[in-house]
Amino acid sequence: MNKILDVVKVTAGYSSDIVLKDINFEVVDNDFIGVIGPNGGGKTTLLKLLLGQIKPFQGQINFYPSSKDETLFGYLSQVSDIDREFPIKVIDIALSGLMSNRGFWGESRKENRKKAFEILTITGVDHLYNRSVKELSGGQLQRVFLSRALISQPRLLILDEPNTFVDNKFEKELYELLKELNKRMAIIMVSHDVGTITSYVKTIACVNRNLHYHRSNKITTEQLAAYDCPIQVITHGKIPHTVLLDHCKEGSV
Amino acid sequence: MIELFKDLFEYQFLQNAVAAALLVSVVAGIIGTYITSRRLVFLSGGITHASFGGIGIAYYVGINPVIGAIIFSILSAFGIEALSHRKNIREDSAIGILWAFGMAVGIIFIFLTPGYAPNLLSFLFGSILTVTNSDLLYLLILNIVVILFFIIFYRPILYIAFDQEFARTQKIPVTLMNYILIMFIAIAIVLSIRVVGIILLISLFTIPPATANIFSHHFGKIIFWSILLSFLGSFIGLILSYSINIPSGASIVVVLVLMFGVVKLLFSLYNRIQRKLIMF
Repeated sequence: MNKILDVVKVTAGYSSDIVLKDINFEVVDNDFIGVIGPNGGGKTTLLKLLLGQIKPFQGQINFYPSSKDETLFGYLSQVSDIDREFPIKVIDIALSGLMSNRGFWGESRKENRKKAFEILTITGVDHLYNRSVKELSGGQLQRVFLSRALISQPRLLILDEPNTFVDNKFEKELYELLKELNKRMAIIMVSHDVGTITSYVKTIACVNRNLHYHRSNKITTEQLAAYDCPIQVITHGKIPHTVLLDHCKEGSV
Repeated sequence: MIELFKDLFEYQFLQNAVAAALLVSVVAGIIGTYITSRRLVFLSGGITHASFGGIGIAYYVGINPVIGAIIFSILSAFGIEALSHRKNIREDSAIGILWAFGMAVGIIFIFLTPGYAPNLLSFLFGSILTVTNSDLLYLLILNIVVILFFIIFYRPILYIAFDQEFARTQKIPVTLMNYILIMFIAIAIVLSIRVVGIILLISLFTIPPATANIFSHHFGKIIFWSILLSFLGSFIGLILSYSINIPSGASIVVVLVLMFGVVKLLFSLYNRIQRKLIMF
């Protein structure tokens, strides 16, 4: 297994506010890591660190590229962050994922468009290629953004809560699609929905100021408590039920 | 109106006015589409008014007011761009402060300048009929640079405008591009002051793209239609102003707004008819 990146003794946050303290973490090829943890625990900060959007206060993040022209990241951000009135077409959003390592202008237009159609077909929104953002539903937009993240065939796909604003049908399809994609790329997925992701991810990272890496997709409430991770756990059993953990322990939130 | 066309061939100042309307329409159509898409209308209004401070100081020290305005508007634009990335300052408040501050500085320095400031009113309300050859030359150079820049960097500009965070992950030099674009906004604004003046200027950068956006959601097509609508509106406004003797800046703005209304109305009628056709 080739290492993609590692995070060594990193402390990070915003101005004077430390969100992540002294974390260690690594990602290797074909990982499928579910990142869980309470709101404000530092999940998004972790992603921003990996993507280079913020710099660590202390420690370092190392990357291990396998070739010179590989695309390291595909990034699916939270849909809520964008302007739904912006005049841009679906096909152009997909194409915007090709900017990184193919030069400033990219390959030939025709070649790129072909790629965009292929990827939109995979995500099931090729028929919407000429629509503008305004005319899409939340789930459709999420698929378009996924296409944008995938079009450059990244080595690591990073998803920030891909299951918000989408219907159950799409959610299920999305996870199946990710499972398929995982054969070709490593995936890091932030999610609130611990119960569902555990059946798809291979390993789990609990982020709550610290980071606990759990090298299995089976996680129990007891383990979560040991990791200081006060989040909701849905267990599979005869009677459907939800176990809610207390937001306990001073300084853990 | 026929008289105008006759005069158009005869008088240089009318030819200059039409040429200015065309050149400003092109640059305002391109920059305006960027401004409205990114919701930078208020920012642009702030830069416009801040530039008045530069005009005032230029009068006081006796240099070309346009140069003073360009320096002031670029500095204020860069200031806002730099501030907007700090979390502890609210961007719209910063714009509001700069907006009023620029005007205040301008008023004070013009008051302090001995004698009468001859072109002051033309800076505030515009005077397209007094556009000079050198004004046109500056506008032409700006047009060429902006057109080339938008053709070469069309995709990066579009992607940054749509989603900066994602553009950053794509190794696009987002910060540099933002500074270049805001510099173009500042220069385009100052060179367009001649046509409609500081007070009405934001109209040229807002109304045509807003009108085009009614029927198109394609960045490039909005630019094209904005240029067309802007020139049409400026030309009709100019004819009106010349034939019934009203201030040109104001008549251009009124025509542009009327065009917006007509397009909006036609578009909703078109939609209603189409919906009826589908039902049958």
